[in-house]
Amino acid sequence: MKNVYITLRISTLTLLALFLLQTTAFGQEEATEDTIVETPVERPVRPAFESGLLFDAATTTLYPSKTLEMIIQHRFGIIDFNDDNTDFLGIWGASNIRIGMNYSILDNLTVGVGATKFNKMEDIQLKYRVIEQTRSNSIPVTVMLYGVAGIDGSAKSKWDGTPDSLEPKYKFSNRLSYFTQVIVSRRFNDKLSLQIAPGFTHYNSVDSVYNHDRFSLSFAGRYKFSPQGSFIISGDFPVDIESLKDYKKVDPKTVIYDRPNVCVGFEISTSTHAFHIYLASAQGILPQEDIMWNKNDFFKGEFLIGLNITRLWNF
Amino acid sequence: MKNSIKLAAIICVAIMFVSANMAMAQKAGGPWTVPAKYKAMKSTVKAGDASINSVGKETYNKHCKSCHGAKGLGDGPKAANLKTSTGDFSSAKFQAQSDGDIYYQSFIGRDEMPNFEKKILDEADRWAVIMYMRTMKK
Repeated sequence: MKNVYITLRISTLTLLALFLLQTTAFGQEEATEDTIVETPVERPVRPAFESGLLFDAATTTLYPSKTLEMIIQHRFGIIDFNDDNTDFLGIWGASNIRIGMNYSILDNLTVGVGATKFNKMEDIQLKYRVIEQTRSNSIPVTVMLYGVAGIDGSAKSKWDGTPDSLEPKYKFSNRLSYFTQVIVSRRFNDKLSLQIAPGFTHYNSVDSVYNHDRFSLSFAGRYKFSPQGSFIISGDFPVDIESLKDYKKVDPKTVIYDRPNVCVGFEISTSTHAFHIYLASAQGILPQEDIMWNKNDFFKGEFLIGLNITRLWNF
Repeated sequence: MKNSIKLAAIICVAIMFVSANMAMAQKAGGPWTVPAKYKAMKSTVKAGDASINSVGKETYNKHCKSCHGAKGLGDGPKAANLKTSTGDFSSAKFQAQSDGDIYYQSFIGRDEMPNFEKKILDEADRWAVIMYMRTMKK
């Protein structure tokens, strides 16, 4: 219970700080307009990333209001280099796929819904851009809040336990998981953009030996090598904090899900599409699934082939 | 007998080829009615500006090239599927148009030519594209 209070306090303080930052930025703009008439209008930089999606990560790129974005994310099975493998680089293995739709309500506010194959997850997403990097560098970074609520659609029996189990029976809230992130990006020049994103994941219900909460630190970057092609990279690194752990001593036989989700690949973007082809270590697709339940170690050759396609419609 | 079959096959292929090309024949776009507000617009990016070959070229390649072609000749890979000819940006007729005329046709659009106002947001970036199209003059 104490941990929940600490988490709530940290989240509230972070949000408060961001809103104050935003208010301060607006305050300065108004004062400037009142006192100096011919101040040039601050122009936002071009988007740091070509799409609102980079592998499984959200970027600070938002589209103008009344834009609909369809996203298809596909992850094949893990590549098995053993001689006796029969799944052709994971392509014939168990795959995961998500289809999602995002809609820009305002220029700085986007909502989305999606459905993912693994655990029959359904998700609701929200992106809110707090401040935007300007060309004059008066605001050096873009800051965005990102939230995902996931609903596990598995059969109720997943949470019921055995008939004589002492564990509580199924409740709808068992199905819920949450991911929140503050994304800070900077477009350094026409080729290079980077972002850093501290995040927090919470699962209402987990198996008995696992933790409900986890902090994470995510990084993402793109280097544009041609007008439409970019080299892209990202990493979600779990940050385990002792005071947040429900279980201090874990049975050594338990599978440890604490590997970072590392993704490396290429992006091709056109006027209305973005395509990603890449290698990734996690298969969850939703950020909370990638951060909480990844046991694949990218640097030990445990990775999968991933493909993303996005499509935009303007209204 | 074999020769007759070959001949028939060649004729069939020829008919299919001709009919496919007839179906694809494109009509030239009719004259544009450009509102006075746009007609009077002047480029804020001057010829020779550094943004023309960076921002202008990159934006053109991302949004325009697939139909209009790398050199504006109307030979992009998607052009053949359009009902209307995409025109030739290198022609004297196209280049004789005012900045405002080209701006309206490029970013407001009509029919098969999409609106790009929500895809190229910044005014200076739009002018950089137009000035890049000006460099395609033969």
